[in-house]
Amino acid sequence: MDVCSINNIARCLVNSGFDPALAQFITILLGVVVVASFPLVVVIFLIWVERKFAARIQDRIGPNRVGPYGLLQTVADAIKLIAKEDITPAGADRLVYNAAPIMAVMSVLLIWAVIPFSPIHVGVDLEIGALYFVAVASIATLAIMLAGWSSNNKYALLGAFRVVAQLVSYEVPLVFALLVPILFASSMSMQDIVHAQSGMWFFFMAPVAGLIFFISSQAETGRAPFDLLEAESEIVAGFNIEYSGMKFGLFFAGEFMHVLTNGVLMAVLFFGGWLGPLVEQAPIILGPLYLFAKSTFWYLLSLLIRNTVPRVRIDQLMDFNWKFLVPLSIVNFVVIAVLLRLCEALGIAPAAANANDFVANIPQTLVLLLGNAAIAAYVLNRLRRAGREQRLAEAGRTLAAVGEKAAVAH
Amino acid sequence: MDKPLELKTGTIADAIAALKEKYPGAVKDDSRQGYSGIVVDKSKLVEVATAIRDELGFDYLSSATGVDYFGISDHMEVVYHAYRTSGGAALVFKAQTGRENAEIPSLTPVWPGADFQEREIWDLYGIKFPGHPNLKRILMWEGFAGHPMRKDWKEAYYEEEHKPFGSRWPGGWVHRAEELNVYGHNVTYPADLDLSKLNDASEEALYSGMGLGVNVTQLDDETALKVDRLVVNLGPHHPSTHGVFRMVVTLNGETIELLEPVMGYLHRNHEKIGERNTFLHNMPFTDRLDYIASMSNNLGYALAVEQLLARGARWQPPSYRAEVIRVLMVELTRIVNHYWAIGFFLNDLGAFFTPALYAIAEREKILDFFEATAGSRMMCNYMRFGGVFKDIPERIRGVANLLNDQVRDFNTMDYLTELINDRIPRSIDELDRLLTDSEIIRSRCIGVGYLPPEMAVAYSCAGPLLRASGVPYDVRRAEPYSIYPELDFDVAVRYNGDLYDRYLLRLDEMRESVRILKQVLPRLEATKGQNVFGPAQHTPRVPVGESYGRVENPKGELGYYVVSNGIGEEASKGPQNPWRYHVRAPSFINLTALGAMCKGHKVADVVAILGSIDIVLGETDR
Repeated sequence: MDVCSINNIARCLVNSGFDPALAQFITILLGVVVVASFPLVVVIFLIWVERKFAARIQDRIGPNRVGPYGLLQTVADAIKLIAKEDITPAGADRLVYNAAPIMAVMSVLLIWAVIPFSPIHVGVDLEIGALYFVAVASIATLAIMLAGWSSNNKYALLGAFRVVAQLVSYEVPLVFALLVPILFASSMSMQDIVHAQSGMWFFFMAPVAGLIFFISSQAETGRAPFDLLEAESEIVAGFNIEYSGMKFGLFFAGEFMHVLTNGVLMAVLFFGGWLGPLVEQAPIILGPLYLFAKSTFWYLLSLLIRNTVPRVRIDQLMDFNWKFLVPLSIVNFVVIAVLLRLCEALGIAPAAANANDFVANIPQTLVLLLGNAAIAAYVLNRLRRAGREQRLAEAGRTLAAVGEKAAVAH
Repeated sequence: MDKPLELKTGTIADAIAALKEKYPGAVKDDSRQGYSGIVVDKSKLVEVATAIRDELGFDYLSSATGVDYFGISDHMEVVYHAYRTSGGAALVFKAQTGRENAEIPSLTPVWPGADFQEREIWDLYGIKFPGHPNLKRILMWEGFAGHPMRKDWKEAYYEEEHKPFGSRWPGGWVHRAEELNVYGHNVTYPADLDLSKLNDASEEALYSGMGLGVNVTQLDDETALKVDRLVVNLGPHHPSTHGVFRMVVTLNGETIELLEPVMGYLHRNHEKIGERNTFLHNMPFTDRLDYIASMSNNLGYALAVEQLLARGARWQPPSYRAEVIRVLMVELTRIVNHYWAIGFFLNDLGAFFTPALYAIAEREKILDFFEATAGSRMMCNYMRFGGVFKDIPERIRGVANLLNDQVRDFNTMDYLTELINDRIPRSIDELDRLLTDSEIIRSRCIGVGYLPPEMAVAYSCAGPLLRASGVPYDVRRAEPYSIYPELDFDVAVRYNGDLYDRYLLRLDEMRESVRILKQVLPRLEATKGQNVFGPAQHTPRVPVGESYGRVENPKGELGYYVVSNGIGEEASKGPQNPWRYHVRAPSFINLTALGAMCKGHKVADVVAILGSIDIVLGETDR
């Protein structure tokens, strides 16, 4: 007799007399509900974390009135948002306007369907998980664009302009960086990508790709310094300026979930997802724990960036993408592909049998790391030279100005 | 061909003599008692002004303002104060006109900086300026009846001409102005104003020049992309306009093609209220101009009135200690203001409040000291004619407790010494270390919002804006006041005239202020016990005349043009109320250059450029 647990609900239901099809349906429904509500619940806590974190950086206390340590502040805020009047501006395109926030949240939630939480717990282990992620994440772009367009507001429109420019552009380096783990794992399935890292986390084999992925996913989410979509000091709130109440709340929650999702994806693609000591023994506890420990690191890093840097300008944003990130990500991808093939040809690559062995992975990792270091060294050198040229030009300008001034004052 | 003016010496008297020689009949001495400068015939005004600028070297028009002498001699005049950027006193020249159909030729072709000031004079006095490119109301709205600074214009709840008002309860009844003047019957509109089209009327005039809905690129090529301009209102409700300032911009994509500043949303006719007040009443009122820097505002006004009072018999100038305390307060205020300006400039660049909060942390310490001394953190109302209101206290005791229930209780001199020698320099260095080399800040600031020096002077820009463009003009050195001549400090100057240099210049100025404060501390120690306030002068009678008191405020040159005059007996006794009280607000005049600086930049830059000018709407709108 099996012990009924979360791992075998379907079988338990059938054993207790349910129709197998119905049992299957209930299990899937349960899974969907759990996977979809988990991030929604977590986000309530995340907003508190963000506010406390920002407060500490800024030498403040942060929310500390509602509940212990202000933990219930977000709950109070959510109640306030729900209780607010639901306003649709007179000039707005009603259908699109109201659909946009739902799409924004939905696109993030859909990503969670392919996130592996543990060796056995994953919404759907799609064979094209990575492709699915790219496709679904693009819906968020569409949602924000629609929100900006349908609001019939000039600030929102400016925000929508920027969305088109920014989000569409940054998908290019994002996808190129995403290709690297796929290349390593020879599979698009998220679960396979995690399994492939049991010998060595991909970040150590391709740190450049990892960082590109992190930077461009920051831009995809519209977080600082790429928060041009809703640049408060410029276009007030950008695409969501006309939204209030829970419709605004959905955008807000969507953004926070997206940041967390970015962290989770970083963990899955580059930091071995749920992998960790003893995870096979207690997958239900340790798997998610490892996953979220890893993603929290990236989440907090994102907060740190948000609270310390100012915003770039739209032309600098585009320059950074098209003149820096895109070429870099392509070069990085090609170099890694070549090195990988080279390792195989030279016999440095671990054999299929001991692919999970840490030691067997070391030689190949070292080769790849060398490749990455070469790329990084070249890029940094290039940047330093460009910076020096710029500073020299600037110093020349100052000297010229001073000289002119001196000439005027005899 | 005109003979160029010849100057024996650089003095004002010499310049006036040369002008009188060249334009006999058109230039006369202003011979009224207590007045100075020249009166220029308005038909020759532009010619004389050009000579003043080009041949006499008075290249900087500090202030232009109107005065209405209704009841005294029934004319209106416009008063100009021109300076040399190399330093020295003002050449004051005036142009007079009748009160009906008042017209004076515009000086915008000579000094573009007269632009906003002439619009203000038209708005408040109804003097027309033929030749002005864009003469329309600037502070009041288009549907406003009359010109409120005229002496015969009465406000909605008018009570009496001058304070102190008579009893409001003569015979035991209370008469409130709002009962005598019932709301709804006390407002007049212009005869030709259609109330139902109110918004259209004012907005049409504004938008007409902005090219709304017109194709920018009228290309013959059918395949070319057609682009429309977008007119966007940035403000008055906008997080980055530092109050209720409004910029109407025409955008081509994200690029600014035209920018028109619109202001007056916070207008309260400060100057009219100031004319109703007695001289001393205006002192707390100046706090509300640039509310970040109330101490400096106080000082400018005190200097202006002291110049007038000094002509009287019973005048005692401020004691040395009073002057030392004044400089202490003013330089602390400069530091406070620049902390604020840098912090919020970073916010405008898109940082999420962190730099702003770091920057204003030390400001709290300074405000604690202000609170202990003047009783208020921001609205200090501290200076008086002939000194300051009170000596600095022995100890700083706070009502609010510090962390861990420590009671705030410090020896003032120790507190100041620690603040000036340690805390402030450290936090300036911290800002420098955290911000100056940031790649994003550099790439956002360098080369953006460039203002060439000749343009900065022509537009009458002042303060950090002017000095970051490479013009080392600082009133503390150009026309020193208080104890500045004996203090050792440099005028901070930077040469690139962009956002980055304005930011760096503010850091430089803070360091110079610390340098000044370090010299002030021993003087403060040495003068302990001296009186800081002469004979009590609550409602001083001020000798008739005009004066222009100006100080280097953190935001630029703050000037007060004060006229003491009255009708009949009032004039001979010495009036209690200013006949004219004009504020030359640096924020207001610095905005003249905004449109030119923003052209061709992106939306994000406009916000940053505005932040780098550092405006305060209390002062801009007055």
